[in-house]
Amino acid sequence: MVDEHTYKPNPAKVVKIIDETPDIKTFVLKFGKPADRKHFSFMPGQFGLFSLMGIGEAPFSMCSTPKDPEIKISVRNVGNVTNSMLTMKKGDLLGVRGPYGNGFPVDEIKGKDVIIVAGGIGFPPLASTVEYILQKRKDYGRIWVIYGVEHVNDIVYRSSASRWKRAKNLEMITTVEEKCKGWEGCVGLVTDPLKKLKINPANTVGLSCGPSVMLKFVSQAFQKLGIDDLDIHLSFERMMQCGIGKCGHCNIGDKYVCRDGPIFSLREIKRMQEEVW
Amino acid sequence: MVKQANYTMEKKDLQKFLGALASKMDVYAPVKTKGRYNFSRLKRGQEIELAGYSNTEFPPREILMPEGETLVRYARKTICEVFDERKKVLFGVRPCDVHGIIVLDKVMMGHGDMEMHYVERRKSTLIIALNCTEAGENCFCESMETDTLTGGFDILLTDAGERYHVEVGTPEGAKLVKGAGRIFTETLEKPVKPKPGCEKKLDMNGLPDMMKRAAKSKIWEDVAKRCLSCACCTFSCPTCFCFSLKHEPDMTDLSKGEIKREMDYCMLLRFSRVAGNMVFRQHRAERVKQFFYHKLVYGMENEGKSHCVGCGRCITECMAHIDITEEAAKVRKSYGR
Ligand SMILES: Cc1cc2nc3c(=O)[nH]c(=O)nc-3n(C[C@H](O)[C@H](O)[C@H](O)COP(=O)(O)OP(=O)(O)OC[C@H]3O[C@@H](n4cnc5c(N)ncnc54)[C@H](O)[C@@H]3O)c2cc1C
Ligand code: SF4
Ligand code: SF4
Ligand code: FES
Repeated sequence: MVDEHTYKPNPAKVVKIIDETPDIKTFVLKFGKPADRKHFSFMPGQFGLFSLMGIGEAPFSMCSTPKDPEIKISVRNVGNVTNSMLTMKKGDLLGVRGPYGNGFPVDEIKGKDVIIVAGGIGFPPLASTVEYILQKRKDYGRIWVIYGVEHVNDIVYRSSASRWKRAKNLEMITTVEEKCKGWEGCVGLVTDPLKKLKINPANTVGLSCGPSVMLKFVSQAFQKLGIDDLDIHLSFERMMQCGIGKCGHCNIGDKYVCRDGPIFSLREIKRMQEEVW
Repeated sequence: MVKQANYTMEKKDLQKFLGALASKMDVYAPVKTKGRYNFSRLKRGQEIELAGYSNTEFPPREILMPEGETLVRYARKTICEVFDERKKVLFGVRPCDVHGIIVLDKVMMGHGDMEMHYVERRKSTLIIALNCTEAGENCFCESMETDTLTGGFDILLTDAGERYHVEVGTPEGAKLVKGAGRIFTETLEKPVKPKPGCEKKLDMNGLPDMMKRAAKSKIWEDVAKRCLSCACCTFSCPTCFCFSLKHEPDMTDLSKGEIKREMDYCMLLRFSRVAGNMVFRQHRAERVKQFFYHKLVYGMENEGKSHCVGCGRCITECMAHIDITEEAAKVRKSYGR
């Protein structure tokens, strides 16, 4: 009998759907078997491969925490698979395999101040990280969450964010690129508020996920604030098929984003053998 | 490896040996069609002709990772992975390609995760390798130290005039020899080390470091100007393993279907394309560089073994006459110190 665990997904049921924006939905998923949930024990920043039989498979980062009984993903409609996913209804089944990747070093950074910078649909793995930190609040220092979107209508996790805003020693800044009526928060790029933070660089780590260009400028801003390359952790996106370091699609030089990443320290990024941004 | 006995076999008995094997398992051997050899499953009683056999047009990877292999089969209430565990023999594999298979093994079975479909096929495949007496036009296995074998085969044949000298590499290989009865005669003779005599050379000494210094070199742009992005090089390379997963529903009953593995190639623009039409290797030079570096640099770093085994296929197949040995020589000239 061959171990059937290369590509076979386990079924999970959609138990709740949250309409975040016109093109993003959050799905709460419950595995058919408790053993499957146990098998899928993950850390913030890891991802899974989610499939609709007959349509295809795509990688998504979990936005829930390891402790939550159900897993949660937020999906933005951008193509073939995501388009079909957004038509799912409560009770529908989704295939799940994983978890894959390394995750953010949430336990290694205990005792430190943490700056979290999320851009657009890069928020899910960092939302998981924020919740993880809040569950163990005493273990961490000050927390900043900077979240940038193009338009006010793109903002996700509104109810979680209002809860985070009330948390002790946590500052949440949401910034929109397009100015519009009724928006009283920041206008501009995520790097604008980031540059203005007053931090103790020796005891601060920077975590970020978002579009490639954003990561480039965020990493520069982190460096300007004086944060060490080893304390800057960025989550990358690449084309993915297998998720286990076999199909070659996610290569950056000799690195496999699915296996060695998706999170790399700036030190590792600077040593990569292919253009990264 | 346990020291196994050596044997000899009369060349005229090869057909009998393969015929007997073919009655027990699938035998893939080099078969000539339209002037070119390729691995093909022998039919009952099919004769093979090895005079003029240098190497196959396409690598044995085709048997170990067949195009469009079904990996998962699903229906309304069931879903299961499908494995090919049928016993197979790959006959006539050249030493460079055995090294290529060793590379595939390291990738598909290494780094903590196993690609079980490859593993099962590999476990059920015996390899009868055939040493080279004469190099092909584009071979440079001697430079890559892939012209000889110390492992990776179940049986290794070396041409010795009217006979083959036979070395046994594994207990499974020994069983094949035993099972063939009087075709094989034990011998104390040592095989003559083959000397294919390659005309092409690729000096690997210090090359990976020179390539690293050449990461931003104009060399890659110059190759890109000639390259057609046809992917024939990657298609024909014995160590190119990249693939995509394809969902294929049963059009007569959409609740049923399969997930298949289709080989994919980094030389193609679409290879690194993600949603929103973002392509990470937009420029041809970046794709050319990925191919050459994967073969000559990254393999050493990730698997401790060069992914170029010097088979020369990418040179033979390239319509633009791009030659990995020439480009490597250019790197050495400009970046060696
Ligand atoms: C580690 C990781 C985490 C991600 N987390 C999220 C998330 O939490 N929420 C979210 O909305 N999106 C996330 N993405 C992006 C998401 O995977 C893509 O938007 C999705 O694959 C697009 O699939 P599609 O079939 O709709 O698009 P199509 O363009 O039709 O793509 C077809 C196939 O190509 C592959 N592919 C296409 N785009 C990407 C991509 N950007 N990354 C990797 N493979 C791709 C997939 O296998 C996909 O099925 C993540 C990507 C990665 C690599
Ligand atoms: S075979 Fe030649 S032309 Fe085709 S992609 Fe390879 S290098 Fe380019
Ligand atoms: S890179 Fe070219 S010569 Fe080297 S193993 Fe691949 S096909 Fe053969
Ligand atoms: S997704 Fe296949 S190797 Fe990374």
